[in-house]
Amino acid sequence: MASDASAEAIEIRLRELRPGPPVSFVARVVRIERREITRKSDGQRRPILTGLVSDGTGTVRFTWWDPPSEEIDRGTVLRVARAEVREYLGRAEVAFTYKTRIAPAAEAELPRLGWDEMPVRTIRDLTPPDEGFRLDARVVRVAARTVAVGAERRSLFEGRLADGTGLLGFTAWRDFSFREGEAVRIGGGYLRLYRGRPQLVLDDRSMVARLPESSLPPAADLGSPSRQSLARCEAEGGGEAVELAGRVVAILPPSGLVYRCPQCRRQTHQGICPNHGPVAGEADLAARLVLDDGTGAATVNLDRPATESVSGLTLEACLERLRSAPDPSGIEELLWERLIGSSWTVRGSAYVDDFGLSLRPETITPTAESEAPDTDALQRRLT
Amino acid sequence: MPGREPAWRMFAAELLSATETEQGTGDRPVTYLVSPYGARIGRALLAGHLSGIERVGEGERPPFYRARLTDPTGAITVTAGSYQPRALAVLLRVSPPTTVLVVGRPHLYRGREGTAFVSIRAEAIAPVGELEYLRAVAEILAQTLDRLDVLAAIRAGASTGGTGPELWIAGARASAARYPSARPEGLTASLRSALGVVRGDGPPTATSPTSPGTIPAESATDRRSFRPTPPPPLTEAQRAEEGVFLDLIDELAEGSVDGYADVREAFARLADRGVSADRAEELLGRLETEGAVEEPIVGKLRRP
Repeated sequence: MASDASAEAIEIRLRELRPGPPVSFVARVVRIERREITRKSDGQRRPILTGLVSDGTGTVRFTWWDPPSEEIDRGTVLRVARAEVREYLGRAEVAFTYKTRIAPAAEAELPRLGWDEMPVRTIRDLTPPDEGFRLDARVVRVAARTVAVGAERRSLFEGRLADGTGLLGFTAWRDFSFREGEAVRIGGGYLRLYRGRPQLVLDDRSMVARLPESSLPPAADLGSPSRQSLARCEAEGGGEAVELAGRVVAILPPSGLVYRCPQCRRQTHQGICPNHGPVAGEADLAARLVLDDGTGAATVNLDRPATESVSGLTLEACLERLRSAPDPSGIEELLWERLIGSSWTVRGSAYVDDFGLSLRPETITPTAESEAPDTDALQRRLT
Repeated sequence: MPGREPAWRMFAAELLSATETEQGTGDRPVTYLVSPYGARIGRALLAGHLSGIERVGEGERPPFYRARLTDPTGAITVTAGSYQPRALAVLLRVSPPTTVLVVGRPHLYRGREGTAFVSIRAEAIAPVGELEYLRAVAEILAQTLDRLDVLAAIRAGASTGGTGPELWIAGARASAARYPSARPEGLTASLRSALGVVRGDGPPTATSPTSPGTIPAESATDRRSFRPTPPPPLTEAQRAEEGVFLDLIDELAEGSVDGYADVREAFARLADRGVSADRAEELLGRLETEGAVEEPIVGKLRRP
């Protein structure tokens, strides 16, 4: 890698990138791919690196001609001097040519934006891949979760923000000590598309400040979902916080007793994890219910606690049963027996993909089991 | 539309009144049953009492069973074979009469004389208690009324906006196109009967008495009280009218090719005798509720 980074070029932030003279900047590699292309002049193959770099204010595509042979890892921070700027499909991108000087740089050299430098945005006008903005919102929900990142287990915080213009899910890779109901100012996050829904990602470089005095609507007025039909929810492409009700009309595989890789929690098939090969799977309970209200149908994915609570089964009881009746599919049949036809109200987030509407429930409760039908209303409609 | 075909909340009467189908599109096209009352059904949910479970065919063939599902509006055949193992397992397990919810795909068999025979190929059957059954009947009734509203709006020339779910609007369009002369009143008697069941006015069906403890017993004696307000006892004049109507149906049925009396013709003849359309409608509703007349095909009446 060339190390002479002292070059005369305009030092910019990527948000300001426009086609014109060469520029210099410090940015992180967020995506990188090595490819080979055929040179037009002599038909020879030559390698290039392409990908995305981001400095927290903007993300742009780069093309690195005649790159070094060593690997450049995703996450590497680079100081780039005299990169050429061109426009491709209406967006500015950079090219690293023989004139460009590139050197590794430290995290601290990335631009640090003050609050005042970040444009103020509201939830309604944020779309992926926006970044480098400032957002004032209330935390309407926050919960800790542990996920597998490669072979590593990391804890993160998931939740939902609201500002009166809309709702936005977030994932924080760091503990910002969010409390439900509080108003916060957030900077240095970026938006991505996660399971069909925009999501705000907060990482080590993100900033959070408390807003004791805020003109945001009170927490009680934000983020409480209203009941809607499944057809409407699907037509709207899902939602951050929805309440839906219906009957279970089918249960999709995999439901019942499943086995998971102890490292990455993915489901194993015949003792083989798609990531880690042969492993001793850990038993778990899960259910995929088809909830149907006559206008539409949705898949509701239940984890173990939710599956246990709706079915009345426990993992221990299922394993015990397996010892006397060694057929794991029997648990799926038990779920059919216990759940088909039953009515549930689900609150959570919903998204639409090629398989239709799916729900990620936060709560699932029986729909007014003891309630008698409103015969008077029906009678009025019939006369 | 991506995703799964929802289960239309259906009464047997509406399914049995359907005589039209429509072929879906895509890789695995579904055959939809189009009802005269605004539904294009790829999957249905019914609630009723299951009886007469029997095996069809014998010997080495894969098992195929059928049963009778009686809801407040009529009885429909439910089938399950080896491709519906879970529904089949329930049919083999329960001892009828059992109250159940059934989810399945409608199937239309057309007989030689153009008669339609609708059955349900069950995907799932769930035995339920009496209260859950009543809630399901109320749910089916409410959604049927909602759909009739959508159908009325579409027939009145409404564009799509705001009348109901996309799917229901599409169903109403298909229905209006296939049955240009169908009248929603054809279903009224059935819906009143369903309301009677939800209100606990009487035994929901002839085959399965409900336990008196579970539903408020208002008047368990008179099936006519399925009507929203308990009617006064029939007058002599009304009795006479009923007699005239029944004779008329016999006469028309005898003179017709298919053995059914045409509703419009019957109403026209009643009008000649000074019975208004409203009164005729009410009369028909009463006779259907009493079980003296049935309308197995829309617009076609017969004595059972």
